[in-house]
Amino acid sequence: MITMSAESIDIIFNPWLRTLLGLCMIGVVFGGAMVVVWFERKLSGDIQFRLGPKYVGPFGLFQLVADAIKLMTKEDLIPSKADRLLFVSAPIALMGSVFMMLVAIPFGAVVVNGVEYPIVATEMDISLLYIEAVSSIAIIGAFMYAYSSNNKYSLLGAFRNFARMIGYEVPLGITMVSIAIMVGSLNIVEIAQAQSPIWFIFLQPLGFLVFFVALMADMGRLPFDQNESEEELVAGWITEYSGMRFGLGFFAEYIHLILGSMLVVLLFLGGWNLPAALTNITILGIFLPTVYFLLKSALVILTIIMLRWAVPRFRIDQVVDLSWKRLLPLSLLNLGWAIILGIYLGV
Amino acid sequence: MSVIIDSSNIINSYIPVAVFLVVSLLMPPATMAMVKLLSPRSKSPNKYATYECGSDPLGDARIQFNVEYYLYAIAFVVFDIEVLFLYPWAMVYIGNGVDMVTAIVEMLIFIFVMLFGYAYLWKKGALKWMN
Repeated sequence: MITMSAESIDIIFNPWLRTLLGLCMIGVVFGGAMVVVWFERKLSGDIQFRLGPKYVGPFGLFQLVADAIKLMTKEDLIPSKADRLLFVSAPIALMGSVFMMLVAIPFGAVVVNGVEYPIVATEMDISLLYIEAVSSIAIIGAFMYAYSSNNKYSLLGAFRNFARMIGYEVPLGITMVSIAIMVGSLNIVEIAQAQSPIWFIFLQPLGFLVFFVALMADMGRLPFDQNESEEELVAGWITEYSGMRFGLGFFAEYIHLILGSMLVVLLFLGGWNLPAALTNITILGIFLPTVYFLLKSALVILTIIMLRWAVPRFRIDQVVDLSWKRLLPLSLLNLGWAIILGIYLGV
Repeated sequence: MSVIIDSSNIINSYIPVAVFLVVSLLMPPATMAMVKLLSPRSKSPNKYATYECGSDPLGDARIQFNVEYYLYAIAFVVFDIEVLFLYPWAMVYIGNGVDMVTAIVEMLIFIFVMLFGYAYLWKKGALKWMN
């Protein structure tokens, strides 16, 4: 279809250039997180008949810039009774988890002359397994946050957090396996590309349900924010943190939200695949798949934010029951269905 | 299906991972260093007290946990390892010179054994949140 010189292929697959691309993607995600925070506050305001942020900039758009400046200029406080080493390294663990996830998640694709180049920092063969592995470091990060601060409410939040996150890791992993079976590959780019005629949500609706619920619990979004439960635990895991150390944890949560929504789109909602008739037009091929992919991710984020105000927070025993007694059997059922589908489709 | 493993390719695909690891280790300390430059500092012993819920905290927060909590964590480890075993199996059970029926039966036996343990845990109440 296209003859490319060896040099241009070298440039595209040069790992250092790809690293640079990945570092740009960190910037994009940070910007995205700020927009999402603003959007969430505005939308929450609308849902509750409030105004939300409105003074700083048009529609309060620069509120988050103001907040970031405020966080930057706050004094760095470490409580004297806190475990200093843990207290300082907790944000590193949490941020590290989301950064390491970001390496393997494609942000769309550029189609030039019918050839697809995914926008991703690294294309490894086991990216799905890798993403699951590094995303579970967040559990340890969140626990470090709470345990280091020597605060009873934080510790309670951390216990709940730990129980919740490990409970939902299992159904999450099993649904990921069910998806990998359909494609015969753990490479997330190949999984996204495999959905070009039919999205996997239509083949595995049950899997989507389990994955979405488990992912929301994994990200700690309401109704699954037992680690925070601000009505009973002050601010839960993050109570003792202030200033930028708080800000880092807060940002890590929102980046996790963005990456998680992208994961939903990549695994179930068809990724960036568009009909070839559209992407063969050069200009459309360069921009449209990425825009399409990001729009779908934004829709998932919108759904998650609206769910926050539609479903009240579960009690922790309900959360544990939901994961071990409902989602785990359902995910195994879905695995069986995936095996049958895999044989039928002959992968 | 023939797979050509090019080790230089595999190493190349992990260079970004290594760089990101370094970046994620450096980014929070760098941010905090910036904060140190920008933020005011005023020392006062009260400021460094644990906040908790506003009043003076009583005792230490690092307590011993209920042993049931560990039981729950062990149940998780067992199931998570089960999932890990599923990954390589899911990659090879169709094609790749593996007898599909044998592969599936073997995995069903494996899952069945796990389900047995799962039922036992459920019956014993290990999956219940303790109060």
